[in-house]
Amino acid sequence: MWEWWQRNRPLLLGAVLLLMALLWYSINLRQQDETNFPERMVLILTGPVQAGLNQVIRGAADVWGHYLYLIDTEQENRALLENNRKLSAILAESNEVRLENERLRRLLDFKEAQEIATLPARVIAEDATSWFRTITIDKGSEQGVVEGMPVVVAEGVVGRIIRSSPRFARVLLITDASSAVASLLQDNRARGISRGKGERLVFDFVLRQEDVRVGDRVVTSGMGGVFPKGLIVGDVQSVDRQEFGLFQAIEVTPAVDFSHLEEVLVLLRRPQ
Amino acid sequence: MNRALIYFALAGVAAVLQTVLMPLLLQGDYKPNLVLLLVVYLGLHEGPWRGGLIVYLMGWFFDGVGGAFPGLNGFVMLAIFLAVRGIVTRVNTESSILLLLLVMAGTILQAFLFAFALDFFRQDISVSSQIAWQLPVQLLLNFVAAVVFLKLAVWLQRSFLPRRDLPGLRKLDRRYES
Repeated sequence: MWEWWQRNRPLLLGAVLLLMALLWYSINLRQQDETNFPERMVLILTGPVQAGLNQVIRGAADVWGHYLYLIDTEQENRALLENNRKLSAILAESNEVRLENERLRRLLDFKEAQEIATLPARVIAEDATSWFRTITIDKGSEQGVVEGMPVVVAEGVVGRIIRSSPRFARVLLITDASSAVASLLQDNRARGISRGKGERLVFDFVLRQEDVRVGDRVVTSGMGGVFPKGLIVGDVQSVDRQEFGLFQAIEVTPAVDFSHLEEVLVLLRRPQ
Repeated sequence: MNRALIYFALAGVAAVLQTVLMPLLLQGDYKPNLVLLLVVYLGLHEGPWRGGLIVYLMGWFFDGVGGAFPGLNGFVMLAIFLAVRGIVTRVNTESSILLLLLVMAGTILQAFLFAFALDFFRQDISVSSQIAWQLPVQLLLNFVAAVVFLKLAVWLQRSFLPRRDLPGLRKLDRRYES
C-alpha cells in the first residue's frame, strides 16, 4: 500500500489539486454576480496602467497613422512635406476632435432622451483572452457604478457591469456566450432571449409560428430586470425555420460595432 | 520568492499587452495568449508545488482581466501546468521545438477545458462550437507569439545578460543545441 502511494503520489496529489480548483470554480459560479476581493484588487492595480497605456498607444497610433508615414518621401519634396505633415497633423487632430464630438453629441442626445440617470465612460481595455467578450471602463463604484447596471451607446445595447472597483469596472458584452438579454421583435412583439455567440447573437425561444423576417429589429423587452425596455439589440440576419421543433433558429447582427467602442454610457439603475 | 515576483510581473505585463496593445494591433477579437507561454515555461522549469501555487494565483489574477467566472482561469492554468509537469521527465526539455509544441498542445487543452468548464457546469451556456471555430486562429496566433517571444527572450539574454544563466532560456539558444 505504502509503495503504491509512493509510486502514484504525484498523480494523486495533482488530481486532488485539480479537483479542488474545479470545486472552487464551481462554488464561485453561485456568487458570480459579485466582485470578490482578488478581482477588485486586480482591477485597482491594472486599471490605471491600462488607462495610461491605452492613452499613450492611441496617441502613438494617431501619430503613426497621420504623421510618420510621410517621412519617407523624396528629398526634393521635404520642405513641402514638412508643411504637409504639419497640416496633416492639424487636420488629423481636428478630424479626431470632430469625430469625437459627433460621437459624444450622439451620446448626449441619447443621454437626454433617457429617463434614467446616465454616466459616460471611456473604454480602456478589452478582455485578456480571445474566448470571452468583456471590456474595462474608467468609471467604478466611486461614481455609483455597481454590478448589474446596463451599459449602452446611442446605437444600442453594449452589455452589463459584472465587476466593479472604486475607479474601474468590467462590462460583459452582449456578444459573450454567457450573456443573455430578454428581447422581443419590434414589429410583431415576439419574445425571446438574445444570447451572445462571438461576433453575432442568436435569438432563442421564438416560436415556430411567429412571422420573423430578415432585417427585423430586435429590442430589449425589459423582462430580465437588467435592461430597460426598448433599447436596440440588433437586426435579424438569418431565420431558419426547421421542419420539426418548437422554436426557430434566428441569428442577429448586433447594432453596436464592438470593434470600435470608445465611449459608452452606464445607465445608473440597479437591476430589479 | 524573487523568481515568483518576476513571474507575477511578467504575467502583469502579459495581461496589459493582451488587454490594451493586442486589441489595437490585431483589430479583432483574437489575441495571442502570452500567459500560456509563461505557464508552459513554469511547467518545464518549476517544481510541482511552488509552480502549481504560482500558476493558480496567476489564474486568479487573470480572472480580474479575462472572462467572467472566478476560479476558471486558475483551474485551466493549473491543469495545463500539471499536464506539462506530467510529461516533463519523459521528454527532452532542452529542445525549443518542444516548447512550441507544448504551447500548441496547451492551447488545445485550454480550449477543451474552457468548453468543458462552461458547458458542463453552466447548463445555460454553450460555447463548444464557438471555441472550436476560434481554435485554428488561436493556435496560429499563439504559435507566432511563442516564436517571436522566445527569439526575443534569447536575444535579450545575449545582449544584456550574457553571463547570467536564466533558467530555461539558455537551452533555447541555438548555439547550445546539438
